Amino acid sequence: MRILIRDAEILDSISKHHLKRKNILIENGIIIFIGSGIPKADRVIKGKDLKASKGWFDMFAWFGDPGYEFKEDLESGTNAAAHGGFTGVALLPNTKPVIQTKNDVSYLLSGNSRRITEVFVIGSVTENNLGDDFTEMIDLHTAGAIAFSDGLKPIWQTDVMLRSLQYLRKFDGLLINKPEDLRLNMFGVMHEGKTSTGLGMRGMPRLAEEVMIARDLQLLAYTGGKLHFANISTPNALKMIRNGRKNGLRVTCDVAAHQFALDDTRLHDFDTSYKVNPPLREQSDILALIAGLKDGTIDAIVSSHQPQDEECKKLEFDYASFGMTGLQTVLPYMQGISEKIGWETLIEKVTSNPRKILNLEDIPIQKGNKANITIFDPEDTWLFDEKTNMSKSENSPLLGKELKGKIVAVFNNKKHLIVG
Amino acid sequence: MLGIKNLTIDDIELIFETASNFKEIINRPIKKVPSLRDITIANVFFESSTRTRLSFELAEKRLSADVINFSSSTSSVNKGETLLDTVNNILAMKVDMVVIRHSSPGAPHFLARHINANIVNAGDGTHEHPTQALLDTFSMRLHFGSLKGLKVAIIGDILHSRVAISNIFALQKLGAEVMVCGPNTLIPMHISELDVKVELEVRKALEWCDVANILRIQLERQQIKYFPSLREYALYYGVNRQLLDSLNKEILIMHPGPINRGVEISSDVADSDHSIILEQVENGVAIRMAVLYLLAGSPSVN
Repeated sequence: MRILIRDAEILDSISKHHLKRKNILIENGIIIFIGSGIPKADRVIKGKDLKASKGWFDMFAWFGDPGYEFKEDLESGTNAAAHGGFTGVALLPNTKPVIQTKNDVSYLLSGNSRRITEVFVIGSVTENNLGDDFTEMIDLHTAGAIAFSDGLKPIWQTDVMLRSLQYLRKFDGLLINKPEDLRLNMFGVMHEGKTSTGLGMRGMPRLAEEVMIARDLQLLAYTGGKLHFANISTPNALKMIRNGRKNGLRVTCDVAAHQFALDDTRLHDFDTSYKVNPPLREQSDILALIAGLKDGTIDAIVSSHQPQDEECKKLEFDYASFGMTGLQTVLPYMQGISEKIGWETLIEKVTSNPRKILNLEDIPIQKGNKANITIFDPEDTWLFDEKTNMSKSENSPLLGKELKGKIVAVFNNKKHLIVG
Repeated sequence: MLGIKNLTIDDIELIFETASNFKEIINRPIKKVPSLRDITIANVFFESSTRTRLSFELAEKRLSADVINFSSSTSSVNKGETLLDTVNNILAMKVDMVVIRHSSPGAPHFLARHINANIVNAGDGTHEHPTQALLDTFSMRLHFGSLKGLKVAIIGDILHSRVAISNIFALQKLGAEVMVCGPNTLIPMHISELDVKVELEVRKALEWCDVANILRIQLERQQIKYFPSLREYALYYGVNRQLLDSLNKEILIMHPGPINRGVEISSDVADSDHSIILEQVENGVAIRMAVLYLLAGSPSVN
């Protein structure tokens, strides 16, 4: 089957067609034509303002497979990812059992040949994500794990963090840490500030994130190696990371897409769909994050997809679980800041940058190459409701809303998905 | 009635006016009125409470409502039934109004979103305790006439206190100035952003204020250590006669109860002429009658 994408602006800094409007023809998973001519095709994709980028990559998503398949399994999760424009997702190890043996890795990778969105594995650093004893990271790496992290949990013990960084140097492995001092955040359910004070809710101070970043940067300077901070949320965090990089540290970071769109005042009526970790912060933090995206301090944008079933969310705020789904809403959130940052920069943060950080192949949009492509229309709108939501869970504050920024099609792995 | 935050000054005035009438009624030989006949009210308490529950129950009975009580010391989650299921079960028995106390901030708001019944917040964790703030400000008003420019110091554990937050909102709406005082570890980091003064020295707070609202030191709600001992607290934050006498001014003493004699307040202060602690209790019934009466007349949920 030959599929023609008509008149799409190509956003791919490593392609010679970068920023040019072209017609792209794909057959059997290969780009066979890019140009101004209109070749014959079985199917034509048209739109008002189509953009074509490399397939998007999400380096921080959680599925409940194995163990919590009722929240999200591999099928529903990868389907939601594809509908959100992602052709690759790196999954967090916080499953049951935790992803910590080569069998766990091969279970996750085994279905990749039949999926349009490929799964990549982040192996656990410590056994059962408890933060104490190492997993067999070299063996996990050999089995195909592309990075190591305790995922939603921070590596909270200083000495364990130190030795993890040292141990990974054998194969220049990447350590991903979600910075959070658990004691400073104890009982916290939202950002500590004016809003939490008025709501009588326990706060999670910016400090809890920053203290751990400061610690980790010191450790990284001591050990060498590669460190990635996941889901950062404060201006000071950015400042420290920027400085660390200036001093030659190999440190990168990402931000969750909802983090630069929503602030803590959304929690005013105790709506648990806004309960996330790191918590939604203030407008001043959002402005700093946008500046950080623009100046390159923030390398990647992630979905921080954390599906939760109703039983975990339809509860008193204290008892509700953290997290919101995110895979299908990254584009609408990016669309909200696209005027300030520009699509060219934004797209790097969901394509080349995460692949570079994870040391993955980054194939340009060029004739003869494999088609790993996401087509989107930033101006088109769509309704995000029970029908279009592909996740098994519904914990998104955007559910039921008309959203701007629509995924039109994705191509990968000799497969394609055209979103209706 | 979920909190003070969303009440207007007119709402508060109406509650006060209604409460004044009820206060007169409950001082008559026959204390009961038929206003809420045919109305069934459930007092659902997920946290231990003696006076608030008693006060609500008395208010309900004096309005001739039918009353049922449900209390559970553990949270509903620990019992295996969700809060929503518990309350829906109670409502299925044709209950018109729910008075709820719960340890989780926002629990009444959560219920209000999911069920169709009038809800009165009788204290939600460390968030609000609106009827307490109404009875406190009502008592101050009876004493001073107006709250405009009145200086009120709230002294004690501000971090774990729903009374403090509701009082701050109510006092500010009525034109009073508010200061909070206590050990720095028990004062929320960002409280000054709510336009309240912060003072760490009890003597200075007392020198500043017209009214001292002294809060109970609640060791049971502290999951982490915030101060070393009750002894040190009593020595450096307790309000006693000697301290008050040295000030050369009169201060109205209030306390939401139950009091820890000899900890945050000494007996000679609690029982003194300047203390209106028992008046607060009496006004509490009148205020709760007013709130229930007005809510029963309003068709909408909050």
